[in-house]
Amino acid sequence: MNIVCIVCPNGCCIEVNRNGDQLEMSGNLCERGRKFVEAELTNPTRSLTTTMRSNSEIMPVIPVRTDGEIPKDMMFDVMAVINQGCVKVPVKCGDIVVKDILGTGCNMIATCSVNI
Amino acid sequence: MHIVDQLNRKLDARFGDKVRAQQEGDVVTLTGHVDTWMEKVEAGRMCASKQRSYYIVNDIVSEKEDILPMRVPPIKDTLLEGKHYDAVIIGAGIVGSAIARELARYNISILLLEKEHDVAMQASSRNDGMVHPGIDLKKGTQKQKYNKLGNEMYDKVCEELGVPFQRVGQYLGFVQKGAKYVLPLTPVHWHKMGVPCKYVSRKELLEKEPHLNKEVVCGLSFPSAGIVCPYNLTIAYAENAVDNGVKLSLDTAVLNMNVQNGVITSVVTNRGTIYPGVVINAAGVFSDEVAQMANDRFFSIHPRKGTNAILDKKAAYQVQTIASFLGTASTKTTHSKGGGVVSTIDGNLLIGPDAVETNDKEDYATTKESVASTFAKQGIASPLLKIPDIITYFTGVRAPTYEEDFVITKGRKTKNLVHAAGIQSPGLTAAPAIGVSVAKMAVELLGESKEVTLNKNFNPIRKAIPRTAELSIEERNQLIKQNPDYGVIVCRCEEVSRGEIIDALHRSVPCDTVDGVKRRVRPGMGRCQGGFCGPLVTGIIAKEKGISIDEVLKSGYGSELVYNPTKEALQNE
Amino acid sequence: MNKEKLYDVVVIGGGPAGLAAALSADEKGASVLLIEREARLGGILKQCIHDGFGLVRFGKKMAGPEYAQTFIDKIEKSKVHISLLTFATSIEKCDDGVRLTLVNCDGVETIIAKSLVLSTGCRERTARQIAIHGTRPAGVYTAGSAQYYTNVLGYMPTKKCVILGSGDIGLIMARRLTLEGATVIGVYEAKPTPSGLTRNIHQCLHDFNIPLYTSQTVTRVFGKERLEAVEVTMVDENMCPIKGTSKIIECDSLILSVGLIPENELAESLNVACDNRTKGPVCDQNYMTMQDGIFVCGNALHVNDLVDYVSESGEGAGKSAAQYQNEKRRLVEINPDNSFLYVVPQRLNLEKPIDSVVMFFRSNIERGKTKLSVTVDDKEVYTKIYRALRPPEMERISIDFTKLPIDEKSVIKLSLKEVSK
Repeated sequence: MNIVCIVCPNGCCIEVNRNGDQLEMSGNLCERGRKFVEAELTNPTRSLTTTMRSNSEIMPVIPVRTDGEIPKDMMFDVMAVINQGCVKVPVKCGDIVVKDILGTGCNMIATCSVNI
Repeated sequence: MHIVDQLNRKLDARFGDKVRAQQEGDVVTLTGHVDTWMEKVEAGRMCASKQRSYYIVNDIVSEKEDILPMRVPPIKDTLLEGKHYDAVIIGAGIVGSAIARELARYNISILLLEKEHDVAMQASSRNDGMVHPGIDLKKGTQKQKYNKLGNEMYDKVCEELGVPFQRVGQYLGFVQKGAKYVLPLTPVHWHKMGVPCKYVSRKELLEKEPHLNKEVVCGLSFPSAGIVCPYNLTIAYAENAVDNGVKLSLDTAVLNMNVQNGVITSVVTNRGTIYPGVVINAAGVFSDEVAQMANDRFFSIHPRKGTNAILDKKAAYQVQTIASFLGTASTKTTHSKGGGVVSTIDGNLLIGPDAVETNDKEDYATTKESVASTFAKQGIASPLLKIPDIITYFTGVRAPTYEEDFVITKGRKTKNLVHAAGIQSPGLTAAPAIGVSVAKMAVELLGESKEVTLNKNFNPIRKAIPRTAELSIEERNQLIKQNPDYGVIVCRCEEVSRGEIIDALHRSVPCDTVDGVKRRVRPGMGRCQGGFCGPLVTGIIAKEKGISIDEVLKSGYGSELVYNPTKEALQNE
Repeated sequence: MNKEKLYDVVVIGGGPAGLAAALSADEKGASVLLIEREARLGGILKQCIHDGFGLVRFGKKMAGPEYAQTFIDKIEKSKVHISLLTFATSIEKCDDGVRLTLVNCDGVETIIAKSLVLSTGCRERTARQIAIHGTRPAGVYTAGSAQYYTNVLGYMPTKKCVILGSGDIGLIMARRLTLEGATVIGVYEAKPTPSGLTRNIHQCLHDFNIPLYTSQTVTRVFGKERLEAVEVTMVDENMCPIKGTSKIIECDSLILSVGLIPENELAESLNVACDNRTKGPVCDQNYMTMQDGIFVCGNALHVNDLVDYVSESGEGAGKSAAQYQNEKRRLVEINPDNSFLYVVPQRLNLEKPIDSVVMFFRSNIERGKTKLSVTVDDKEVYTKIYRALRPPEMERISIDFTKLPIDEKSVIKLSLKEVSK
């Protein structure tokens, strides 16, 4: 089986073979590739970037992202929660706007600073 | 032998007994069945009178692809129900708008109807912007008469209406070896036609147009040719008309008329029934259908598409005027005065147009073949033309009759009617003169039942929206001091300020669409084609009109640019 | 008239390249004016809300606005003069450097720059420029416009769309629109191989089951007011549509991600020579164009795939502009063979350090294991073996040219050769 690593722009194509309990891998340029493949086979996760509504005068929506990776199959559930929320300005880049979203352990953080 | 017998013999030879010609007065009507639209057009063309001694009405049914019905705006209300107007003009293209403005010189009530969401939406915004000298027009035709009169009016009209216009001149190059012996004699012919013309040697021609094909032997110069922005002029005419009291009703299509005893008693539209004194048919490609509704049809329109390509301003150095080689203008084969390569009033280069018959009067789709063929043709005159320099292309539909002449006349059977029909190239050039002439005819008809006096308050001057990028630093500074929005550039390619865009949204001819703003002040006309400024213009329209972004239209109804807000919470606001 | 203001360095464009350039020029002690057309700094990064920015520079994944914010925070604390909502209408050479005419809501002003940095970014190729025919309804957008509507204005440009072109912005918009509830019918690519980064094919398309079709393109659009359908046709190896292979796909939008073109209209007004391959100005290792005192960086120079490299070129250009003293250059040409799409820079200035010259290149085709070789007068100064090379992926190298004697007559060549595994 081949899995493309999405950790960095190298996009290594990693060949994976199961040998009993062991995973044999080749093609990854670094250790992050191994970790990615392991996660991909057990509990694939992704970071999520989107926008949230705000009460800013100049920006109707404000960019946000998860500060870690959430389970891949929860992306649309998390979107549904985010779509209901509102970011109050002023907000600073990195501020938490939703804590521990849907119990994933990840927070949503603002990715830009807005004063008004 | 009667004409109709000759025609039937010709038709028999080509179509068997499927098609027949009948004559009544000076109208020959064709009936019968053919397969394709092109066969129907062919039948009409082969019967047309070269001397224009009779008209062709082509009622042949083309079984496989007959004419498509007019697209009607989706609105239905009673805005105009029961209203009376002295003059009702159908169609707010260049012709209808010019007529409206000229009629506004009289103390009468005038209604200008347009089925689209803006003026100048059809042929008037889809042509090459050439003000023709009248090179290939036949003496005695309406085209020739009005082209000459219209051309002469251009300086004054454009001055009054605040529309940029330049007499750049047209150059016709010849590559035929013998041309330099024969050509010096030809200007006499043009002078007789009232067309200023001068012989130019190869050297003179290449001095004026150094990037033309060097194989040119000599040429002719037509100094009275000019360039104008056709939709700018139409909008200006319409605005000046409205400023002088004309009522403009957009999104209003004429659906039917009631005619009794040779008089139109009412005009039925999607916005109510109107009671006119006189009706003016300036309906472009639909002018034969309007004539039919008015019970006064004696000509047929066979729509003919033409595609033009616009090149980046970077390519504009190639031609300074209007240039083509003999045989490369589409003149020879298609009855349309192809512009060749035109240096537009806005500083682009325009290539085209071609000519393709169509059964859809609103067929604005472009094709690869059209662009490729115009390029190949004009490339002979201007060898540096490159397809990658194209920033956009567009298609318009001409409204030729089979006689290939304008129909500018009072109604024949119907008394309170004036036709300004069958207007194709050089309609833009002719429009100022058609406006005056048709207004006069309409006033004469109205004068039969009431006294028509001159409107002393008529103001021929229209103040244009300032083009800040073209002002001197001092003028620009002054304007920005008055209104800082003139200092905020929204469209980077054409350097259009926010102030100009806001101006465009608050003129006497209503404008609330992205394309409407684009036609008025040019954001999105440049090389990025609105990639950057499109969403910004959308935002400005929403704010100025007090609507939400998802209500802003690109062009007509149903052309909303975006759907719902991304966040439900936004919707509840 | 008031005396014209004089700056050591004027930077045009407040995106990532311009921000980096202004900051580095400021650090070198120059008086700096940064001109930005929009109301906020950050350039296109403002709308690039996805992550993946800053991996090279900061070692972590950041969103576009977040990456920009780190520079904006710094510049607000620096001495750089910032002029927002300001547009440079014209530039001309003058005795002291360059005279710029600026327009903003205070009026028109002319200023003098001893040196100028162009960081004007790039624009997207449009539907007409790739010869899409048919009607012109609402619903045909470049990926960047669709991104602006979605991420900045907060409105959906589509419910059901086709994406033409597999450039990164197209792939990212496929994911973005899907997350916001739209249906992406498919991404169509005229070339036989995708144009975007491999990881974007995976995380943006595969993750969401969005199909990618190569060697197919949109040939026509339908619809009077709003887009109603597109015609998709297979193309041959010369990208010419194959007759009889068309099909009609109903959709309300066509989103185009068919390439970016450096914006160099200001540079052209100064007669700056451009490279036909990058579509940006020809420059030396210090980002100076062939006009003395005019520098260029970021996507105005060539279209980068990583913002980290945009910032790097901005820093280089800003620093060089600050140090510019109107000194004479000794230039030697860099000659890549035709195995490259392009190589930047195109010249070396031998009057300046050449011990660690940063070069960027793209291979012209997809290659397996490949050796890059750089020679001076046929002697190798640098080699590097690549596992694979793909045109969408830009490569960065740093070369020491002092190993061999080099002068203006030297011949510098670059070549790519596939080597067997």
